[in-house]
Amino acid sequence: MTDYANTDVLVTTDWVKQHMDDASIKLVEVDVDTKAYDAGHIPGSVGFNWETELQDQVSRDILSKEDFERLIGGAGIAPGDTVVLYGDHNNWFAAYAFWLFKLYGHEDVRMMNGGRQKWLDEDDKPLTVDPTPLTPKAYEAKDADLSLRARVMDVLKIVEAGDHNLVDVRSTDEFTGKVIAPPGMSETAQRGGHIPGAASVPWASAVQSDGTFKSADDLRAIYFDGAGVDAGKPTVAYCRIGERSSHTWFVLKYLLGLENVRNYDGSWTEYGSMVGVPIERGTAHARTAEPATA
Amino acid sequence: MDRDTRVYDDIFQLLPSEENPTPLVRINALAPAAGFDLFAKLEWMNPFGSVKDRAASFLIRSLEAQGKLSGERGMVEPTSGNTGLSLAVMASAKGYPMRAVVPDKVPLTKKALLKMAGAELDVINDNLCPAPGLGEGSIAIAKTHAKAQPDRYAMPNQYENTENTRAHEETTGPEIWRQTGGKITHFFASLGTAGTIVGTGRYLKRKNPDIKVIVVVPDEGHDVPGLRTPAELATTNLFEEDLVDEIVEVEGELAFRTALELIRKEGLLAGPSSGLIFEGARRVLSRDPDAVRGGVGVALFCDDAFKYVDSFIKHVPELAEDTAP
Repeated sequence: MTDYANTDVLVTTDWVKQHMDDASIKLVEVDVDTKAYDAGHIPGSVGFNWETELQDQVSRDILSKEDFERLIGGAGIAPGDTVVLYGDHNNWFAAYAFWLFKLYGHEDVRMMNGGRQKWLDEDDKPLTVDPTPLTPKAYEAKDADLSLRARVMDVLKIVEAGDHNLVDVRSTDEFTGKVIAPPGMSETAQRGGHIPGAASVPWASAVQSDGTFKSADDLRAIYFDGAGVDAGKPTVAYCRIGERSSHTWFVLKYLLGLENVRNYDGSWTEYGSMVGVPIERGTAHARTAEPATA
Repeated sequence: MDRDTRVYDDIFQLLPSEENPTPLVRINALAPAAGFDLFAKLEWMNPFGSVKDRAASFLIRSLEAQGKLSGERGMVEPTSGNTGLSLAVMASAKGYPMRAVVPDKVPLTKKALLKMAGAELDVINDNLCPAPGLGEGSIAIAKTHAKAQPDRYAMPNQYENTENTRAHEETTGPEIWRQTGGKITHFFASLGTAGTIVGTGRYLKRKNPDIKVIVVVPDEGHDVPGLRTPAELATTNLFEEDLVDEIVEVEGELAFRTALELIRKEGLLAGPSSGLIFEGARRVLSRDPDAVRGGVGVALFCDDAFKYVDSFIKHVPELAEDTAP
């Protein structure tokens, strides 16, 4: 059994409990359910709201560098701090925050394996509703590292050239075009289906039932052997609005160690609404992870 | 309290027990097998309206016995259904706060019903994306409240608390045994938290190991409120497969059609879960009528039709026809 390509980016719940009082360790909770932090959080953590704080509120875009600096500095985080992210739904939106931190060049970012569910399920791990006192700091971000981000122009070139791995991490029904978005979602596209040549690997394939990541061997079997991701090629992951794919981006880049992995945050809501771009439906021409793991 | 004249000092005295059982009513026009007595156990005759009164009352009693409830310290529970309603009414009557964590997708009428019963609602986005293997989001939020503010909230936790099964072991089981004079041969129920089937099944099997305990489940993708398929049972850890002789799968759609048959032919105002259970019982008993001749069956009818009129209309569209001048 082999280990993850990067072992320092994952920390255990026990590690967090031991270090949660360290001044240079900053715990950040990001949840799908934006009320979860207020219901109870790890003492000393700050909570970011993905809807109102982690994206530009006017353009459809990631936070600008200035807004990122304001948010992170306001949370009392300095560039030299160790940021430990955790959240609900297997760290789904925690992974999106991880991607943002890396995009703006934060050096030491880690993820709490298992997320808030694992912390919640362990009797010795405390939760509180007490607000965390924050001392704002001046935070200077680096310029956005655009090698971590794919734009629609990049994706269209990739479709034409066929020289990348494309990983679609949405549910099977979204991939095949049976549904455009999960029921009840307001962010949707005009058409259903997937980007031609994409492999379907639903994002939650990467985690075990307790929310922790699967072993390196299992992940390799799913992405490389099952879905046909070629470790020698650059990779782009996408989903519906770019959050679920951050989770897969994290797995491919940090746990499996692929050199060149980008998150296409425009994702299906952008691609599936463009006029005249090629779309595939059904599973006929797609490599999917399911037959190989069945 | 005088049970003969049915005069009670408070509503809690109506809670069921061996001495005060919910009624058994014989199925006549729809009897599935000649010479077999099938009875419906009318759980909607419970004081707060459903089978869930049993588990809810035991859960509250247990928290009270541990000194965990007061005017300041109430309950938090992930529930949108009958357990929540039952807990909320009892909590209100006893002066305990009650916070119900409900997924946003729950219909407005159910949310309003909880508020009518005095509960505070915590509505969450539960279902943003399928995340296989994880507990439901509302369960996690309820646990979070209980862990972060133990001085304000105790969590009954119907999915894990063995008081749930104990309620049925100490009430439902003994009631049925006594009401059938020990002659019961078949027990039919469904799965929600698994409390009914495990508690009742355990008691009945102890009395007579030959009694058949039969679980009726809806098929995948069903829309029968409160019920789970075996695959959905990951949310409860009360289920004990050894107690079950047979699992019968019935198309969820039939829950509604069969309930209407019960209403129209037996005068039993059955809700969809009761319809599903009856349909399962009918299939099992009509398979080989000679083999069950002389037997006595009890089908547990969880709730009546009134809370589910919208579901009935959705699944039986003709109910909405000819309803305007």
